[in-house]
Amino acid sequence: MNNLLKFAVGIFLTLAFAWLAFVVGARVQFGDLSPISESLDEDNEIPEDADLFPMPQPGLAELGSSEYLALGCSTCHTQQVRMVESGFDVERGWGKRPSMARDYIYQKHVMLGNTRIGPDLTNLGTRILDPEWLHKHLFEPQAVVPESVCPPSPFLYEQQEFSSDHTIDLFDEENNSSRHLIPSSRATRIVAYLQSLKQDYELPEMAFIEEPDAIDLEEISTSVSDLATNEMNLESSALPTWLSQQITSGKEIYSKALPGGGMCVACHQQNGQGLPGAFPPLAGSDWVLGDKERLIKISIHGLQGEIAVNGEKYVGVMQGFGQPLASPLDDQQIADVLTYIRNEWGNSVSSISPEEVKAVRDSEKDRELTSMWTAAELNNFDN
Amino acid sequence: MKENSEQIIDKSLKLAVCFFIASAGLWLLAAAFFAYIASAKLTDPFFLSSFELFTYGKIKLAQANAFVYGWGGNSIFAVTLWVVARLAQAEARGKVLLLFAGSIWNLAITFGLLGILDGHMTPHEMLEMPVEVWPALFLSYGIIATLIIVVHRSRRIKDTIAPQWFLLASLLWFPMLFLIAWNGLEIDAARGTVQSVLSMWFGQNVIWLWLTPVALGSAYYIIPAILGRPIDKYYLAVFGFWCIASLAPWSVVHHLEGGPVPMWIPAIGTVMSIAMIFPIAVASTNFHATAFQDINKVWNSLPLRFVIFGTLSYTVSSYIGVVFSLPAVAKITQFSIINEFHFNQRVYGFFSMIIFGMVYHMLPRITGKEIAKSAKSFHFWTSAFGVLVLLLAYLIGGLTHGVLAQQPSLDWASSVISSVKPYFLITEFAFIILAFSQLVFVINVWKAIIPSPFELLNKLSLIKKGAT
Ligand code: HEC
Ligand code: HEC
Repeated sequence: MNNLLKFAVGIFLTLAFAWLAFVVGARVQFGDLSPISESLDEDNEIPEDADLFPMPQPGLAELGSSEYLALGCSTCHTQQVRMVESGFDVERGWGKRPSMARDYIYQKHVMLGNTRIGPDLTNLGTRILDPEWLHKHLFEPQAVVPESVCPPSPFLYEQQEFSSDHTIDLFDEENNSSRHLIPSSRATRIVAYLQSLKQDYELPEMAFIEEPDAIDLEEISTSVSDLATNEMNLESSALPTWLSQQITSGKEIYSKALPGGGMCVACHQQNGQGLPGAFPPLAGSDWVLGDKERLIKISIHGLQGEIAVNGEKYVGVMQGFGQPLASPLDDQQIADVLTYIRNEWGNSVSSISPEEVKAVRDSEKDRELTSMWTAAELNNFDN
Repeated sequence: MKENSEQIIDKSLKLAVCFFIASAGLWLLAAAFFAYIASAKLTDPFFLSSFELFTYGKIKLAQANAFVYGWGGNSIFAVTLWVVARLAQAEARGKVLLLFAGSIWNLAITFGLLGILDGHMTPHEMLEMPVEVWPALFLSYGIIATLIIVVHRSRRIKDTIAPQWFLLASLLWFPMLFLIAWNGLEIDAARGTVQSVLSMWFGQNVIWLWLTPVALGSAYYIIPAILGRPIDKYYLAVFGFWCIASLAPWSVVHHLEGGPVPMWIPAIGTVMSIAMIFPIAVASTNFHATAFQDINKVWNSLPLRFVIFGTLSYTVSSYIGVVFSLPAVAKITQFSIINEFHFNQRVYGFFSMIIFGMVYHMLPRITGKEIAKSAKSFHFWTSAFGVLVLLLAYLIGGLTHGVLAQQPSLDWASSVISSVKPYFLITEFAFIILAFSQLVFVINVWKAIIPSPFELLNKLSLIKKGAT
């Protein structure tokens, strides 16, 4: 080790071995992947006129990725859905399948990230469809998710005094006032980028993960429902079994995250009281106890705009649960959760059957699943 | 007055070493300031939120870069130059050139950080500073490294010892790493996640092969120098050195576990991380077996107290690091704020503490001025306390974060992040203590380096008297 040159060569070699493997080797192995169809035909060829994935990023989104990079968003957000055996990313609803190297070949800046203070954003574009929500969130995350630590970016917006066609109106419950935002071109680019984030296609090397660990979940849910049924039996042994089953399953959907759940609990809370000023209560609400058709409609398509519940005014957005989110609730699940909320926290009215849900779905089949109802619209219908 | 050879060497080093230490101190303060803002933003997202300059992502990266290149880089130059010259018993050459290159290095980092704050960062780990500043950084690094090597080559004793291996290896590794990364990311840019593998490899290796060996080399130098006894089981050191050299470059990619890269990449990383037990064991045997033979002396010498704190924290947290790279554990903690624990224990608990000790050892010899013991000791206790609080908060917070994140039914913001928030608050508190402690360090250092105005006046009046 006394000869500096030999020493230098020695320590270079130790480095070079690793470099050969990780960098040169990796590059040879997957440095020139090309887009491919979702599945291959018998001869392992790409079928003719099949769509190829991944698709290049739209221009606006590519510009947005540079803005996203410049704001350092990837210090808190990863963009990689891990393998099923390495973590619960798929179960959490962050993707229908793990990410593959091929998914990233067109990205101008690859921002896999290594810390998740915020959720993974790989499939944000399939999770949050409403650009207005994204703008509000970008302007001030805390306005839409109160506990958030996602940094506000008010410098990307101009504010004006009044609402107009170009503004995004952000209602502030505390002061009972609205802020009217005009997005800058940078904000628009970022939102376009966020919307473009999706790995919603299959690849020959990785198919969608079917109902993650269906068996495990079933086991858990039966044990939960055993408990709940016991409870229920003690409380109201008079209930017919089919009804108590519906209520048990509804209770589970009420507090379970996607897939297979509605996470209602996140907003309307365990006690059904909602959060004052933000999320309306379900206990004692006309919307819950009253007209079944209206209740089913808002559950399928969602509800937005000003509404009154128990004499209080609320302005908010609830996305529908029938729309193609990561995994929409089916008729049975909607019927169950609605039956549950109609029979909990002192509520006690008739149940809702899957057939009733199906009937409403059929009668509204021309309505887009993502177009939310407003109170005004629903009340007109009533007339 | 006749000076002995060590004094002559120190005199030849004075200007350059003082320059590097003084600038390192300023970067340390800058990093502390950024660290505080970033942590405050996690407890209150509205803190300074209307300034784009201060948005979390930018501040966070500015902090890491100011810390590693500003504080780390400058203090590496100072320590390496001094130790290499002392061991070679040779004087420094090209003082002006050293100062010139040092100024370029610092200017380039300044522009680099401004670039990050202005939104021109690159997505590559530890290469976030805009591409334009890297040639200047590389060039100035080259000049400084060459001048240090020139000193080493003119050494009186041909045989080299452990501190020299570690310091010179680190000096040479950084440019090698940089050229490899630069080639793969800028010149002949790879596509897709190959980029991520490369940038993660570089980012982690900067810590493992640039900062770490300097701290280890310093410890190998200072422990025998102060205690006046040889390193216990010194014959192991050469084994430890080559273990680090051959394992560390492999072990750093286990962070990609389960990610969109071929499986063998993180798998090798995991195996090699576990093998890192050997070099860690060697270093800690060498250091601690020597130090604990004379623990009183260690305790009473503040520089050594800093260094032993550093080596102990290196041992403990490296073992923790090995545990966290086991796949079963990595699955839980992979993306949690445990990463902050790893970063801070390495650059703070280990590297910085050892550098603090080295600086307190070097400065009095170079400037001839003692630093008040109470000031050093205050610095030691605040640093030690701050670092421990910080690391514990990140460790426990990281475990909480990881465990909760693994439960798909918990809502992200209202359950997972809300449970971690208390730890964010603790880290904010720790960063305030650390900022305070670093301020004391910088004052100590600057007081020793800059002649006080009164002394200057005194000297002037003496000269005047002599003239008349
Ligand atoms: C301090 C860490 C942090 C940074 C930096 C950060 N975020 Fe977030 N982000 C979060 C957290 C925590 C959440 C979860 C709470 C919420 O939904 O607001 C989140 C949520 C989000 C969501 C909603 C995701 C979902 O699935 O509901 C979007 C979109 C988002 N962030 C975009 C951004 C953008 C764009 C940036 C860069 C300007 C950014 N984030 C920077 C922490 C961060
Ligand atoms: C993201 C938060 C969120 C989730 C999750 C959510 N809701 Fe809502 N919900 C709201 C908001 C906000 C409104 C008020 C909408 C408005 O102001 O137009 C609302 C309104 C309602 C209403 C009518 C008003 C009332 O209080 O009676 C019902 C019924 C309802 N939600 C049921 C559900 C059910 C059932 C689920 C789960 C399947 C659910 N919600 C999940 C946010 C949410």
